[in-house]
Amino acid sequence: MIRSHILPVAGSLALATLLIGHPLQAQSMDDLNLQVHGYATQGFLYTNQNSWNGTDSEGGSAAWTEAVVNLSAQPQEKLRIGIQTRYFLLGDYGNQITLDWAQVDYRVNEHLGFRVGKVKSPLGLLNETQDIDPAHLWALLPQSVYPISSRNSLLSHFGGIVYGAVPLGESFGKLEYRGYGGQRILSSSDGFFQQLRDLGFTLPNGTTGPTLGATLTWHTPISGLKIGASEEYDHETGELVLAGMQGTIENGPFRAPFYYGQYEKKRLMIAGEYERLRLNSTSRFPNLPAFINQIDVRSFYAMSSYKLTRKFTAGAYYSYSMNMKAPVSSSRFQKDWAVSTRYDFNPYLYAKAEQHFIDGTAWGFNASDNPAMQPTARMTILKFGVSF
Amino acid sequence: MKTSLRLSVLLRALLFPLATLLLLATPQHAHAQVVVIANNSVSANEISRYDLRDLFTGAASSVKGGTNVSPVLLKGGPTHEEFLNLYVGKSDAAFRAGWRSLLFSGQSTMPRTFDSDAEIVEYVARTHGAVGYISRSSSHTGVKTLVVK
Repeated sequence: MIRSHILPVAGSLALATLLIGHPLQAQSMDDLNLQVHGYATQGFLYTNQNSWNGTDSEGGSAAWTEAVVNLSAQPQEKLRIGIQTRYFLLGDYGNQITLDWAQVDYRVNEHLGFRVGKVKSPLGLLNETQDIDPAHLWALLPQSVYPISSRNSLLSHFGGIVYGAVPLGESFGKLEYRGYGGQRILSSSDGFFQQLRDLGFTLPNGTTGPTLGATLTWHTPISGLKIGASEEYDHETGELVLAGMQGTIENGPFRAPFYYGQYEKKRLMIAGEYERLRLNSTSRFPNLPAFINQIDVRSFYAMSSYKLTRKFTAGAYYSYSMNMKAPVSSSRFQKDWAVSTRYDFNPYLYAKAEQHFIDGTAWGFNASDNPAMQPTARMTILKFGVSF
Repeated sequence: MKTSLRLSVLLRALLFPLATLLLLATPQHAHAQVVVIANNSVSANEISRYDLRDLFTGAASSVKGGTNVSPVLLKGGPTHEEFLNLYVGKSDAAFRAGWRSLLFSGQSTMPRTFDSDAEIVEYVARTHGAVGYISRSSSHTGVKTLVVK
């Protein structure tokens, strides 16, 4: 089903194509150091059974569209300002223009910099770049660690980042650090709340709360090899409504550690990451006992890709996720084998084809969309993108 | 017979790693046709391969001596390919994908890109802290060259 709201994005794609043809390509104004960039993607989904993330993928769906516009300027050597907006549609999620980030960045030197505003959260290996489709081979990142239905909430926070790098000498590489804090907002339509929505609950304003985190990455002396660890602390609360009854929901406080490694050498890339998300989600209604949903999700993925020719890249990953506290059923876990290819027609235009072999329904398969949920599914993705 | 076989195995066991080491030790850039140039404001006269890679992948923005620098790129061609091959260790697509990651995650702006060596030389000559690369055979009047160690 191609929805009518795709039309404005088709306009964006056309505009992007026109800009590609323009001699300036990415318009750069020397005097202001002003740059305009962007990208847009259109995905097509097909699942042999079960519908994915509110799309009608079982019958084939084109309800997966994104368009991003980025404006940035560097008025002084150490100062950058920027803003990025996004139109996002995936089935029942999104269909609106949101602010990705808007920030002021001041880099004192290599060792110390600050970023304030709405900033991307530097968490794990790919959190900051999980939404940047042109940067990845994969049409869909491993859902065990980077679920697309929660992407907009986890991608950025209101607050700041302190960042820098400490050289350890050529024999020992470099240590990169990032610390951040502020407020995280999970929107009412976030995928994290899907099970509650399936049960008839609504969260009028989503949840909000403080977030703190840090990431350390060691760029080893072996060229292309980095390993790192992150940890985030969160404590979010919000309003919960069920059949006219007003209540509250409290997630955490909790900590989520990430451990990761990546090796890149010329045509080859190998990466892996582990995450553990352990928290209590407590729902309270007046005159009723509190309901505590215990969550302990352990997730990991391993991926590899190889650039076969200048324009053609292929790769595969295995993604695994298990909620140790959930009742035994196919909805407590997910194992996903993905095989992916990407063809770059030119520096601006690309196409991706990806096949998933999915066992378990923990991510992306909502009970409300799938009354006759099957424990396994195969999913085929075609995606086209343009960037400038 | 057994002794000569053992000797042969031993020689192979010693020679193979030695040959590998020799191959690895051979400087790949011995006959490089690409030269790294910088604006005269850059105080350094040499740069390590490690620092050069960091600079051109957005992982660093200064060189020894503390000068803030900004990389400039060629759009494509053999000099660009050789530079990536020798000093960055990435294919062009992976290299550009890396910069897109930095740009769209708010960590950097895109480096300026030029069609020809002459345009790069002209820009680097007039821009404080600019560092680029051109073919060794191209004229580089008005800029300094950085020796890659």
